[in-house]
Amino acid sequence: MPEFSPTQYAVPLFVIAILIEMAWSRLRAPEAYEPKDTLVSLSFGLGSTIAGALFGGLSVAIVFAAYEYRVFDMGEQWWLVWWAWPLAFILDDLKYYWVHRAGHRIRWMWAAHVNHHSSQHYNLSTALRQTWTGNFTFGLLFALPLILLGFHPVMIGIVGGFNLIYQFWIHTEAIGKMPRWFEAVMNTPSHHRVHHATNPRYLDRNYAGVFIIWDKMFGTFEPERDDETIRYGIVKQLGSFNLLWCVFHEWIGMITDIARAPWKHKLSYLLREPGWSHDGSRETSDMIRARWRDRTQQGAQRETSPVANRNPIAPPQEAA
Amino acid sequence: MLIQFGGSLIAILVLAGLAVFLKLGGKTALRDEAAVSQAANEVEDGFETMRSSIARGGQAALARDPTGRIMVIKRHGNKYAGRVLTPSATAKEQVDALIVDSGEARFGTVRLSLADAPYWADAINRL
Repeated sequence: MPEFSPTQYAVPLFVIAILIEMAWSRLRAPEAYEPKDTLVSLSFGLGSTIAGALFGGLSVAIVFAAYEYRVFDMGEQWWLVWWAWPLAFILDDLKYYWVHRAGHRIRWMWAAHVNHHSSQHYNLSTALRQTWTGNFTFGLLFALPLILLGFHPVMIGIVGGFNLIYQFWIHTEAIGKMPRWFEAVMNTPSHHRVHHATNPRYLDRNYAGVFIIWDKMFGTFEPERDDETIRYGIVKQLGSFNLLWCVFHEWIGMITDIARAPWKHKLSYLLREPGWSHDGSRETSDMIRARWRDRTQQGAQRETSPVANRNPIAPPQEAA
Repeated sequence: MLIQFGGSLIAILVLAGLAVFLKLGGKTALRDEAAVSQAANEVEDGFETMRSSIARGGQAALARDPTGRIMVIKRHGNKYAGRVLTPSATAKEQVDALIVDSGEARFGTVRLSLADAPYWADAINRL
């Protein structure tokens, strides 16, 4: 059985790429980095590796146990089945899309994934801002169909590693847009900047890992606009560089909400979307977008000329 | 494993140190009402700043919307973070500054040197 972890080999490349981006930042955009933020992001990366080693054992045991119930068998030397590798990569990326979407739409999952979004900066160090608590969610369940189909857990681990490596380079403002054919199929810095934005238009969009086609297929794609400055981070910015608060703030918030909520609403604070509240005192991303649409459309209507008002085929206007 | 951890830790400190050495980040400050209004709108989309006061140095500000809601904004690195204040917020006047406690422990208190501190202290404590 091959023992290979692509991410371990990629770490020196990550460091070199960050150095290059820092040099770019010094020359072109010093505000792209913030030393304290960089320190927090990189500490997240190291802590994530340690947390994975400490708490990943149960997940590994579950996937190997599930593999015993596989529908198709690729044989003892499964790694020699060449066509299984690209197929596993594509299916794993589809799995990533859904686990990532769940990471934004289910608060329990968001409690772990919010870490990756809590920086107000968007640079290559942000890519390493990985969760410490992913093993305390049910994200693993999304991988089980692939295991039960007959893909070996190690194969899924390896292609997943390459998926993660691909996603590293798209966390940058240094690259504008890639060629059109590439932007059409692949996830790019432009598409992923949208994903990290808190602008109402961009909230909960572009969940893709490697192939942006999943967002186009499932209705969550939003292209980056040149006329709208992106704000990065989370809707309620933390305002703190305390690493432990950054790691655990959403878990603490969620558990507090569950403890305080009436019994019939407790499960909703675990499984409904972030921002949901039983008394309507907070806003979900859908509510923020709806409020923004109302506001901008009202503003546009005030500015629309009488001629356009009478024109039934005039497109609706929308301020940035 | 231990060598890997040590190596990663050194790399982290070197990269963060380099960011300081290269003077990345820089300093940002709220200079005028338009800047406060923009920052407030980033904290909460659609927040309409009707009245605002900027702390000396531009490190923090207070903004009020037409419905009477008050937002405190503070510098966070080279960005801004803020909170719309709730009744749990308090404001205390000191000799040279107004201390605004958002009521959220981790967001902390914000110190503002303002010319119109009494107005804001009264408004915040009445929320």
